[in-house]
Amino acid sequence: MTAFDDHIRQVTEFVATMRQQGRPVRQFALPNDANHLRAGLPIQVGAGANPGIILRSDTFVELGNPDAGSCGFGLWTENPSLLEDGRVTLIGPDITESPLGSLPFGQVVMVGGAGLIADDQVAIGQAQVVADQIEGYMVRSSSRNIWSRVSKRVGARGFSFDTLARSLMFLIKSALPKVESVEIAFVTSSKDDLLTLNQIAESAQAIGRAALKEHWKARGYDLDCDLHCGSCHDKTVCDDIRKVVATRLRKDKEALGDDAQ
Amino acid sequence: MEAIEDNMGTAAHDLTTLEHKEKALARYKMERDWFAFLLEAAGGMDTPEGKLQVKLLTILLDSKEKVISSVMNDTPFVAAYYCTAPEILNAMNLPWFMIMETPFLAASAPYLLDDLRGAEEMGMGTDLCSAIRLPMYYIESGLMPVPSAVVGLLSPCDGTTMLQQVLQHNPAWKNVPLFAPDPPYTSDERAIRYFANELRTMVSFLEEKTGRKMDMHRLREVCEESNRTYKLWQEYNELRRAVPCPHGWEIGGAQAFAVSQCFVAGDPRCTDWFQQLLECGEIKVKEGRGANEYFPEKIRILWFDIMPYGWVFEFMPWLEQEWGAILVMDMFSNFPYTLIDTSSEETMFHDLAKRNLMDVPMIRQARGTAENFSSDITRMVKDYKIDCVIWPGHMGHKDGAATAGIMRETCRGLGVPFLHIGLDLFDRRYTSVEEVKDKVSEFFRGMGLG
Repeated sequence: MTAFDDHIRQVTEFVATMRQQGRPVRQFALPNDANHLRAGLPIQVGAGANPGIILRSDTFVELGNPDAGSCGFGLWTENPSLLEDGRVTLIGPDITESPLGSLPFGQVVMVGGAGLIADDQVAIGQAQVVADQIEGYMVRSSSRNIWSRVSKRVGARGFSFDTLARSLMFLIKSALPKVESVEIAFVTSSKDDLLTLNQIAESAQAIGRAALKEHWKARGYDLDCDLHCGSCHDKTVCDDIRKVVATRLRKDKEALGDDAQ
Repeated sequence: MEAIEDNMGTAAHDLTTLEHKEKALARYKMERDWFAFLLEAAGGMDTPEGKLQVKLLTILLDSKEKVISSVMNDTPFVAAYYCTAPEILNAMNLPWFMIMETPFLAASAPYLLDDLRGAEEMGMGTDLCSAIRLPMYYIESGLMPVPSAVVGLLSPCDGTTMLQQVLQHNPAWKNVPLFAPDPPYTSDERAIRYFANELRTMVSFLEEKTGRKMDMHRLREVCEESNRTYKLWQEYNELRRAVPCPHGWEIGGAQAFAVSQCFVAGDPRCTDWFQQLLECGEIKVKEGRGANEYFPEKIRILWFDIMPYGWVFEFMPWLEQEWGAILVMDMFSNFPYTLIDTSSEETMFHDLAKRNLMDVPMIRQARGTAENFSSDITRMVKDYKIDCVIWPGHMGHKDGAATAGIMRETCRGLGVPFLHIGLDLFDRRYTSVEEVKDKVSEFFRGMGLG
């Protein structure tokens, strides 16, 4: 069992709960093969596919701006059977159905591969950084949330969550040969639904940070400092110095008070 | 400590309160006049970017005037830092200045090198960060106005803590009330809540020591204005992804940091400045114009630290002119901020804590664990199409020096060249500007960038 298996189950349960609560939930299956994924795309994908930037005036839909709500994270497992390769779940309206040009945005990318190990965590994370690789789609430079824009130009060509999912799956499978299955869930129903999803995200991110620490430790770098005052053999000396300093300060102040009188 | 003479020959410890006040005020006014001179020069530039500079300097000068007025009229004012929630000071109507104001904002002032020499003559070690050494010198030589209260800083490095110790021992400062919010080491929800509570304690401290009261309705207004400012900043930063980048080292980057949090945080004039910055940038992006009209962009640089303010005018234009190297992004221009949820008092303090503990530059990288050194570089290199990363290796950033290996390995993984120089961002004598230029030229040539 890998560290995120439980989170993958929680995402599955989250989808079931959303369905029970009457949210519109759609699921569709995309091809498993990277080349087939690319063949079905109405846009260019790959390095330099989106050479420019998408200005406010060029925006068809904005996803996950802070007012609307946002949550994005990735999970991985060495047990691909936990995932259904190519499955996309959409809870809420599609990009083409956005009435106001803005939608709340949750994105969970789940990847599986029998050969995946903890050390792949960094590569899995990097493979999800879109940068300039999807034509007409720009993820804004926000480090904590996922906040993105779809351009009018590709909006007019029918850019939807199907397009986005195909693109992401293609990029991940192309970059990481060890990945056997990819499943993606998008949530656009409401900010409140994203808050629920965020609880899973926070727990997963804590595990992700710990894995990152191990990744760097294996390379000889400590992200963390395990030392603290309580564990230091010089603690008594420091405590004594503090006492001396405090006494000196007190005496200085007393002397100053005497002078004032 | 023995009475120390500054380079004007006056022993600060011998000054009476009034003499101290007048001396500090004279220096503070001198710095104001330096910026007034820059404003006058900028006023003659009939370009959108020139007008932007005028607006920035006007905001800066206004904040300085408020401090001067407070000193002269004996009304409350505070010494604090950009990373101690300046929105709170604005909401409490408290004029403030940054204790490290001169190295951060006025390092181009003609007296900086004399001040560094003065600090050395006092016996301060030259291995101590210049950004810390300078305020210590100003405090010890009576060149910094003595405030009504101090909000101290206990991160990101030992030097900042030492700075609080210096002012606690200085005769003119030691009775000034001091509160330093305690930053936790970790960056989880528990840490944010803890720091939010520290900020609340800071508010109580300021209320007690200055007599100014916090009005939560006003704090909400300030935070909402601050959000408007930050939204525009983020929008602007997207423009810097464009090839060519619309602005280089001179416009937009470090200025955005200063306008958002160094003078008056959450003020409509700051929002207005960002609105104009955005408009300037959008025009250039739409026209496909780069930062320097005469020297086309060839190399896109991530300068991962503060800019070399002490010698910025000799180095940054050279980079553009000699190599077509444009500073596309730097540590202080990066935007890792989240907006403040103003729905309740609790959410405001929570998000102010998050911003000041986990988002603001230097604190973000060096306060706790080191993962942001790697993750921020990764994100910026990919988003901003960076060709090379320069970690200047400022002599005071020993915390960062410990992570140079992590940065180098991250860059190797990304396939972008990485340069670690070793210099002083404020003192050109540490590594001469010519030597830095040589190292950078060698690096560009060696990596096939130039």
